[in-house]
Amino acid sequence: MANTSRQNFLDTVNHRQPEKVVVDFGSTGVTGIHALIVEKLRNYYGLEQKPVKIIEPYQMLGEIDPDLIAAMDIDVIGLIGLKNMFGIANDDWKQHRTIWGQEVLLPGNFNYTCNANGDVLIYPEGDTSVSPCGMMPKSGYFFDAIERQGPIDDSTLTVDDNLEEYSLLTEDELSYWGKLIDHFEDSDKALIASLGGTGLGDVAFIPGLSLRHPKGIRSVSEWYLSTLIREDFVKELFDRQTDIAIENLKQFFSLFGNRINAVYICGTDFGTQTSTFCSPEAFDNLWLPYYKKVNDWIHSNTEWKTFKHSCGAIEKLIPNFTESGFDILNPVQINAAGMDPVNLKKKYGDKVVFWGGGVDTQNTFAFGTPQEVKDQVKRQCEILNENGGFVFNTVHNIQANVPFENVIAMLEALHELR
Amino acid sequence: MKDILDKIALCVEVGKINKLSAYPPNMKGQEGADELTKRALDAGCSPKEILDTALVPAMAIIGNKFSRNEIYVPQMLLSARAMSSAMVHLKPFFITGQAVRKGTFIIGTVKGDLHDIGKNLVAMMIEGSGWEVIDLGVDISSAKFLKALEEKPDAIVGLSALLTTTMENMKTIVSDIKEKHINTKIIVGGAPVTQEYCVKIGADHYSQDPQGAVDYLNQLVNNRTH
Repeated sequence: MANTSRQNFLDTVNHRQPEKVVVDFGSTGVTGIHALIVEKLRNYYGLEQKPVKIIEPYQMLGEIDPDLIAAMDIDVIGLIGLKNMFGIANDDWKQHRTIWGQEVLLPGNFNYTCNANGDVLIYPEGDTSVSPCGMMPKSGYFFDAIERQGPIDDSTLTVDDNLEEYSLLTEDELSYWGKLIDHFEDSDKALIASLGGTGLGDVAFIPGLSLRHPKGIRSVSEWYLSTLIREDFVKELFDRQTDIAIENLKQFFSLFGNRINAVYICGTDFGTQTSTFCSPEAFDNLWLPYYKKVNDWIHSNTEWKTFKHSCGAIEKLIPNFTESGFDILNPVQINAAGMDPVNLKKKYGDKVVFWGGGVDTQNTFAFGTPQEVKDQVKRQCEILNENGGFVFNTVHNIQANVPFENVIAMLEALHELR
Repeated sequence: MKDILDKIALCVEVGKINKLSAYPPNMKGQEGADELTKRALDAGCSPKEILDTALVPAMAIIGNKFSRNEIYVPQMLLSARAMSSAMVHLKPFFITGQAVRKGTFIIGTVKGDLHDIGKNLVAMMIEGSGWEVIDLGVDISSAKFLKALEEKPDAIVGLSALLTTTMENMKTIVSDIKEKHINTKIIVGGAPVTQEYCVKIGADHYSQDPQGAVDYLNQLVNNRTH
């Protein structure tokens, strides 16, 4: 009898050869599919036509329903918390028409307005009485943060200002997690939970999208500067944030144990297209001790694997990531400088699981031919899946404007391989 | 005078903004680019001299170090901030014509795209290399670039895009600009942008980092003057 998805997943994340390539689409906020492509996929597979539920509204990622999971032969299911990035509860779903004309479901409290230009403005916790925290340009497909950085007075700046969005899990949140795990546990899929609160200095969160009146360092530029000029502040913030995170992990584990297989830890991008955002020394000084604290707790107490996302040319930081205790690296941006998959697999293949890198979303996937996509998918799997240690995903989310024939070419290539 | 100009250059290079700024720790309490530039002007130093012998060389060092991956985004941002604190004192001289810059550079992130870190770094580096920079901001349409060009017809234009979903708008903007201003030079950049894409959409230059854009602009000036 063939192995289940979960067994194959456990093999690959433990660096054993799985029976077939393990595939993820949609389990996290960085391995997802834009709602527009989700709708096209449902059409393609002849599934029920219905408005796509937006499970992650910042990037407008669509829900991959069980019927689509089955059709695409996906091995991993993602579990996300009660509230989305805007601090809005993912419930009481209501139908809306997007600016590109698609019918979708959004949370009931997802309140937005349009400015004179036709751009969509979104508000923290859906509260339209405060300044908007995000904007989707009229011609765009997802939101970006609106920075609400107040004047900074270093003499009064306190770490509490940047800790406002981090707190212990509530009874409601834990109950929500319990229902999710109960619901999916009996599937034969692997489960990865995005618990939240464990990311350190992720610029997607720095602007405080979920806060009505964010205080502290809330501009991305000011944050980057702070890693240089406010080192003590950043260290204290990371220290206190990881203490809260570990309390939450303890609580989560005490209730749900090893019923999940992996946990999404951090989405902080350390890479640009050609280099890194900091030196390895700066990483070791600022980030490593705190990442290590979280990863060490998880590895000492659970069987979960830990997932680190970082775009860009991060080859020279991979040893620092593994020393921090991360098991999984995503999205493996194969077109960035130094990110040659052959070299990555050779140097780090036995130390880290590559989750992503299946097809180059900046070039081949977006602008290549279906045959080029097929060839690349097969080549990447051949390189990265040897002896396990690989979960197939595109390099980051599948964007709205990817030619659909390329999406199909990728799925056909995977089908042929599996 | 050379001493104070050297100090200004050092402050820009290490990111020492003013006396109050605590970074770098070994220069705590010392004057920064801000005070030193003011003092240099008061002492009779010309704006051109400050620009040519302190700010421009210091920013070139920073830009080249960044290109060689010897420094990172935070250091670049800090040096640019120190440079801006000095430039504030020079701007009145540019307005009156007592000092002249190399030309005008109009920059913006293309329509549909709200990302600006890379665009801002390029803008700061180009300003620090002696150009007037008109930063139109993010989500900029062809109409806005054309309007800016009406006011500064000799300007060079820079377009930035971070997303594969907005790169196509870069193509439209290049085409719209070239239709009305065939001789206007256009530089493109941003994470997904490549040399091939630059050629394909009819732009004049692609740079993968800020210093590459500075070098191209300087090359255009040299070609004009020789």
